[in-house]
Amino acid sequence: MNQLRRLVLVEWSGLAVAIVIGAAILSMLAPNFLTEFNIYVMLRSFCVALLVGFAQMVTLGVGQMNIAVGALGGLVAIAFGGMMEVYGLPILAAVPVALLIGAAGGLINGLLTVRTGINGFIITLATASAFTGINLGITESIPFYKMPPALVAFGEQRIGAFPYLLIAPVIVAALLGLFFARTVPGRQLLAYGGNAQAAELSGIPRERTIVMAHVLSGLLAAAAAILAVAQLGSAQPSIGSDWLLLSFAAPIIGGAALTGGHVSVLGTLFAVILIALIENGMVLAKVDPYWVQFLLGALILAAVWLNRWRAVRTGTA
Amino acid sequence: MTTTDDALDAMPKRGINFAAMSSALSLVVIIVVFWAFFSWRQPGFLSSFNLLTLGRALAIDIVIGFAQMVVLATGGMNLAVGAIGVCTVMTSGYLMQTLGLPIPVAILGALALGAALGWLNGFAIVRTGVNSFVITLASANLFSGAMLILTKAVPLNGLPPEIGAFGKMRINLFTPALPVSPLLIIAIVIGIVLFILYRYSVLGRRILAAGANPRAAAMSGVPVDRVIVISHVLSGLLAAAAGMMLVARLGAAMPSVAGEDWLLPSFLGPVLGGTLLSGGAISVVGTMLGALLVTTIRSGLLVLQIGNFWLQLFLGLILLVAVLADRYRGIFAERRRLRRAAA
Repeated sequence: MNQLRRLVLVEWSGLAVAIVIGAAILSMLAPNFLTEFNIYVMLRSFCVALLVGFAQMVTLGVGQMNIAVGALGGLVAIAFGGMMEVYGLPILAAVPVALLIGAAGGLINGLLTVRTGINGFIITLATASAFTGINLGITESIPFYKMPPALVAFGEQRIGAFPYLLIAPVIVAALLGLFFARTVPGRQLLAYGGNAQAAELSGIPRERTIVMAHVLSGLLAAAAAILAVAQLGSAQPSIGSDWLLLSFAAPIIGGAALTGGHVSVLGTLFAVILIALIENGMVLAKVDPYWVQFLLGALILAAVWLNRWRAVRTGTA
Repeated sequence: MTTTDDALDAMPKRGINFAAMSSALSLVVIIVVFWAFFSWRQPGFLSSFNLLTLGRALAIDIVIGFAQMVVLATGGMNLAVGAIGVCTVMTSGYLMQTLGLPIPVAILGALALGAALGWLNGFAIVRTGVNSFVITLASANLFSGAMLILTKAVPLNGLPPEIGAFGKMRINLFTPALPVSPLLIIAIVIGIVLFILYRYSVLGRRILAAGANPRAAAMSGVPVDRVIVISHVLSGLLAAAAGMMLVARLGAAMPSVAGEDWLLPSFLGPVLGGTLLSGGAISVVGTMLGALLVTTIRSGLLVLQIGNFWLQLFLGLILLVAVLADRYRGIFAERRRLRRAAA
C-alpha cells in the first residue's frame, strides 16, 4: 500500500512541478499570462483536449489503441452540426444522437477488433480512413456555419476565468475516475489490460471488455467533438484531424502504461494542463507554433523513458 | 553459424510463399477488374498521358510501401515514414538551392539523412524496449517539428531544372502509347533488390526470422537488436528515396507533401499485398501490386470526376477487406508452419 502510494505520488509530482515551474516562468516573462482572459482562453482549449486524451486513455487501458479518435470526432462534429443546421434539430436532441454516433463508431471498431483478432491499430487505421471519407464525402470540406445561438453562447460564456465549457470535462473526469476506481466494468477493463490471460481465467469476458473500451472511446471522442463545435461556433470537417498526437501524448505523459492495465485520470488531466500551458506559452512568447509539435514529441519520449525508469525502480518491469 | 542456418531452414517460406502468392493473384484479378471498369467508363483512363501520370504516382506509392514493409517484417511499425520523407525532401532542396551543391551530392546527402533518422528510431526502440508505435509517433513529430522550425514551412521552388525534367521524362516502351516514367523503373529496381535481400541473403533471412519469433531467433544466434536497427535504417533510406522521387515529380521541395499523408498509403501497399502485421512474412511483389491497386483507384476516381472526397472512404473499406482476408491468411500460414514442424 505504501509502495503504491509512492508510485502514485511520483506519477503526478513530476507533472505538477513542471506545471508550477512553467506557470511561474510564464507569469514572470509575460505579464498578460495571469490575466483573467488569458486563463479563460487556456481553459477553453483545455476542455476539448482533455476529452480527446480520455478517449485514447480508455483504449490504452485495455491494451488497445484507437487511431480513429480524430476521424470519428470529425464525423460526429459534422453530423452534429448538420442535424442542427439542415434538419433543424434542437440542441438537446442533437447531442444524444451525436453521442450515439460516436458510440456506434466505437462499437464498429471494437467488434471488428475482437471478431477478427487483428491488431486494433490496423483496424482503426482503416476505419479512421472510412470515417474521414464519409465526413469529406458529405461535406465536401464545407463547414456548417449556422449553429444555434444557444450553443455558440455556451461555447463563449464564462464566469470569471472559467468557461461554461469546462462543466463537461470536469463531470466526465469525475465519472471516469469513479469508473476505473470503483465499478466492476472499470476494474475488469484494467485487469484485462494488465494481464489478458489471467483476466480471462478469472472469468472476465474478453470480447465484452474490449468492445466496451472501444465504445467508451467513441463516446468520449463524440463528447470532444460536440465541445469542439460549441467552442468554434461552427461544425468544421477538419475537427479531429490534429487529434492523433494529442490523444496519445496526454495519457502517455500522464503515466498510462502502453501495454495496458494502468491509466491515470488525474495524470492525464495534469498532462493536458501542461500541454495547454506550453501552447499558451508559445503564443505569448510569439515563438513559431511549430515548436509545439516538436516539444510534444520530445515530451512523449521523455514520459516513455520516465515510465520505464519508474517501472524498473518499482520492480514491475 | 550452423545453428543460425537451422533456424532459417525452419522458416515457413524458403521456397514459395503460397499465402502471399494467392493474395497476389487475387490482387491481380481485382486490379484487372478496376482497369476494365475505369477504361470502360472513361476511355481517357488508358490515354498515354494518364498512364504516365499514374506510373509516376505509382512509383512513389511503391517505395513508401516498401519503407513500411521492411519494418513490418520485424513485427514493428514505423509511423515516421512520412516525417522522414519530408525531412529528406527539404534537406535535398536546401542542399541544391541554398548551398548550390550538384544534384547527386544533394541526393546522397538526403539519403544519408534518411538512414540516420531511421537509425535513431531503431536505436531508441532497441534501447528503451518500448514498442515501435510510440517511439516512432514521438519521433515523427520531433522530425517534422524540427523541419518546420528550420524551414518555417517555406517551399523551395528554385531547384535545378534538371531534377524536374527527370521527373517529367517519358521512356517509350515498344510504342509511344505506352510511356513509362523513369521513376517507375527506379521503384522496380528497388523492388528487385529487396526481393533478393529477403529471399536469398543471410541478412534478409535473419530479419524475417527475428520478425517471426524473436526469442527463437535470438536463441539460434540471430542478433535481434541489430537486425531491428538495420531494418529501421533501411526504412529511413527507402523513405528518403520516396522523398527524392517526390522532389523529381514536383520539381520543387514542399514541406507539406508528406507527414501524415503517407501514413495510410504506407500501410495499404504491404497489407493489401499480404505482408503479415505480426512480422516474419513479407511480399515484395504483393506490396507493389497493393500500391498499384491504390494508385489505380485514386486515378480512376479522379478520371471519373468522383473527386477526392470519397477516396478516403474507398481506401478505408479496401484496407478493412484486405485485413479480414489477412486474418484467414495468417491462420493458413500458421497451420502450414505447424504441419511442417510436425513432419
